[in-house]
Amino acid sequence: MTGALDTTQLGLDAARRHLLDRAREQGVALEVYAQREAATAIEAHGGEVSEFKLSTRQGVGLRALVGGAWGAAFTENLSRPALDRALARAVENAQLSAPEPGAALIAWGEPPSLDLYGEGLSGVTPEQKAQVALTLEQAARAHDPRVVSVPYLGYEDSQTELLVGNTEGLSREQRALHAMTYAAPLARDGEENRMGSDWQFTREFTALDPTQTALRAAEKSLALLGARPAPTGTFPVVITGECMAQLLGLFAPMFSGRMVEEGKSPLAGQLGQPVGSALVTLVDDATLPRGMSSRAFDAEGCPSAPLTLMAGGELRAFFHNAQTAARAGQASTGHAARQGYQGVVGVGRSNLFLQPGHTPDDEVTSGVTGVLLTSVSGGHAGASPVTGDFSLQAEGFWLQDGVRAHPLEVFTVAGTFTDLLAQIEAVGETLQWGWSGTGAPTVRVKGLAVAGGAPKA
Amino acid sequence: MTMTQTPSLLDPGLCADVLHLAGSGGADFAELFVEDTHNTGYRLHQGEVRDAGGGNLFGAGLRLLYGTRVVYAYTNDVTPTGLRQLAGDVARARAGQGEVSRQGAGGLDFRRHDARPLYVAQQHPLHARAQDKLALMRRAHHAAAGVGDVKTVDVNYLDRVQRVLIANSEGLWAEDERVWTRLMVSAIAQDGTWRESGFYGPGAGQGLEFYDTVTPEAIGAEAARMAGAMLRAGHAPAGKLPVVIGNEFGGVIFHEACGHILETTAVEKNASVFGDKLGQAIAHPCVSATDDGTLPGAWGMVSVDDEGLPGQRTALIEKGVLTSFMVDRVGELKTGHRRTGSGRRQNYTFAPASRMRSTFIEAGPQTPEELIGQVEYGLYARRMGGGSVTPGTGEYNFAVREAYLIRGGELAEPVKGASLVGNGAQDLRNIVGVANDLALGQGMCGSVSGSIPTDVGQPHILISEITVGGRA
Repeated sequence: MTGALDTTQLGLDAARRHLLDRAREQGVALEVYAQREAATAIEAHGGEVSEFKLSTRQGVGLRALVGGAWGAAFTENLSRPALDRALARAVENAQLSAPEPGAALIAWGEPPSLDLYGEGLSGVTPEQKAQVALTLEQAARAHDPRVVSVPYLGYEDSQTELLVGNTEGLSREQRALHAMTYAAPLARDGEENRMGSDWQFTREFTALDPTQTALRAAEKSLALLGARPAPTGTFPVVITGECMAQLLGLFAPMFSGRMVEEGKSPLAGQLGQPVGSALVTLVDDATLPRGMSSRAFDAEGCPSAPLTLMAGGELRAFFHNAQTAARAGQASTGHAARQGYQGVVGVGRSNLFLQPGHTPDDEVTSGVTGVLLTSVSGGHAGASPVTGDFSLQAEGFWLQDGVRAHPLEVFTVAGTFTDLLAQIEAVGETLQWGWSGTGAPTVRVKGLAVAGGAPKA
Repeated sequence: MTMTQTPSLLDPGLCADVLHLAGSGGADFAELFVEDTHNTGYRLHQGEVRDAGGGNLFGAGLRLLYGTRVVYAYTNDVTPTGLRQLAGDVARARAGQGEVSRQGAGGLDFRRHDARPLYVAQQHPLHARAQDKLALMRRAHHAAAGVGDVKTVDVNYLDRVQRVLIANSEGLWAEDERVWTRLMVSAIAQDGTWRESGFYGPGAGQGLEFYDTVTPEAIGAEAARMAGAMLRAGHAPAGKLPVVIGNEFGGVIFHEACGHILETTAVEKNASVFGDKLGQAIAHPCVSATDDGTLPGAWGMVSVDDEGLPGQRTALIEKGVLTSFMVDRVGELKTGHRRTGSGRRQNYTFAPASRMRSTFIEAGPQTPEELIGQVEYGLYARRMGGGSVTPGTGEYNFAVREAYLIRGGELAEPVKGASLVGNGAQDLRNIVGVANDLALGQGMCGSVSGSIPTDVGQPHILISEITVGGRA
């Protein structure tokens, strides 16, 4: 038996077993979500490695079901006494909470087999990783004398082990490898400063190509030089795949079953109805081998499968976890989500993307006089999934008869996301992924409100 | 009240040992940061507790400096074995370029820095009952539910108690306990297809006594008022307009347009448009701005920063002239500017960086009505959402939650959906009027060292021209 002074740290699997055993002894229904992450992050500046970060972090998140109500707790201390305290806290929290109809722990069937780990990082040395960061800077700087510095760049990797289990007998493991690079070079011409960025995500270290990432990033920064004020008014807009992916990421919560049942989604009550142009088909697929948000099972251990949210403009489905699904009278779609072991279980997307269409990419812009939108920012405050409205800082170019005329000084685009989906007139053929794990091809929209330098007459 | 001596998070002998081992590869400086954090989070949806969680964050971070180069490592195996392993890993991260330590084998003689807390929580969240916290939430809920067209109310309660120990190879030893509490209400008003949300979420570096001064009723009522006020609003106009920005959270404009580019984290990377402007006029003479860590009980209070330095009050801009940056240890090494007690981080998983504390534009001589009276046609942005900035270019944006048109110097109809965008270097010169009603608002600021509590603040200000991203 262990005493109060037992600080021995258990491994993840042992911690899971300890908690589930204790819960069964106490007659508590319990779910355990245990995660361990080992990561490296390297930054370079001025031809030297300026930051080198190594980390290992682990913890368990608990969810107890008592009298139909959930209570959560987490701990990073994996000693037996700390785990017991976390269990007690989860039970206490459940006793504070209101029962949720449909709340249940389930021993789900087998998830799909998915390799998210590749060759791993065992043969990769710290020097090789540092070289990736150094190459990013060198390649961007060498590309053009107007690249004066690369303030933000880096190499990052992480190896994650995830274990989910519950007192119904569920037991799941998954391991995943992330490796990525990013670079944001600062281009300067006289008094004008412009910064674009690019990045690469992979599950194989050897697939990283820092030179290409740096060159694309430098090209993006340079392309923004020579900006002129944007006009103010409503114009046709071509949205690049990367930018459309950003917008999808901002409005994905509209498709959350939890947001729908709590009256926070403008899509509530519209299943089976057209909410976008016939060119819009939206899919969420956690099983893509190269997807940034891929996973074989969700935060409750439910197997992942592709889900079509919209087909031909018609709303077909919402994201559900086991609980929201039960209340909606259906089965979970495998979209239980949590922010690591610290969070509570909610509902969230995985790899969400707009299905590519049939318009050749270069024809999406053909004939358009308006704005080519390449990036938006400020979405955490300027986009509301509750109303669907957005007004966002934007980056892009003026298109004259389908040709890129010049970059635009800082401007805004505003609209409503569902109106935007309804106004899509052309969808390109090439799917591009954004860096929050959403994807889209280039699309053309009939009109969006643009606010720029010139006052409105 | 009686103070009980809490034991240190780590034994000094072990700290000295770990710092020594970590520095054995020839580092100029080693720093250990140990953290034990307890947090609580509850969500009330339509008056019912939906999410109840919280837990214990427990870990340690080790930072080594080789010149200006940083090696950082962290673990949450805070045992003698785990920490020695970490120290060894950090030393080895410099393998190949490492030197043999020239330091002797003796332990460190830590200078105890008894951080005098600027404020001591009276109703400590760790000693308060869950039911008392839920009662605060219910009071806020009742103040918002059913007001006007408000149909949906969510109340979030958060508290966080972070105990830290910072020890370094210079012999510094600092311990601190930070207490934060915050109550946030979102209200959604709905009438047919019209829907609008309101949000208000003040917080403090205090215990639950905070809610004696800012009552849960006031928080709930304000969220409901905002949702109702915006419900049937038309769209904001688009284009360049004069704008009066409200006080309190309105200060997010300074935070984004200027604050971030005055952090040495941006300056040292040659990514700040103000990097070479010290001593020069960068704003209209009516603008003075301060970053202050010494406000007792403030959300952005820093009794001691995450590098072990006492918090300070830093004048950033005086009458339009740039007087200081916000500086951390690495920033000082790289730029030569003295440290300002601005080294902050979310938790042990981040190395510290120069960050804001309570940042605000100082009060001016006019009244808000006088500022509005100067505008023939423009926007009154009464309540703000959040914003962001690209430090390299100074281009920023922020969202307006509640706005009205100004016509002929008078407030007119409400308008929704505006964001404001601009360039910090240009727009600071366009702040042409500052009122006398300075107040602070609370937010979470995300940057290189994670998400940290910061205050923004200002009195009402008048900007002669700014791009309004509406659509009318």
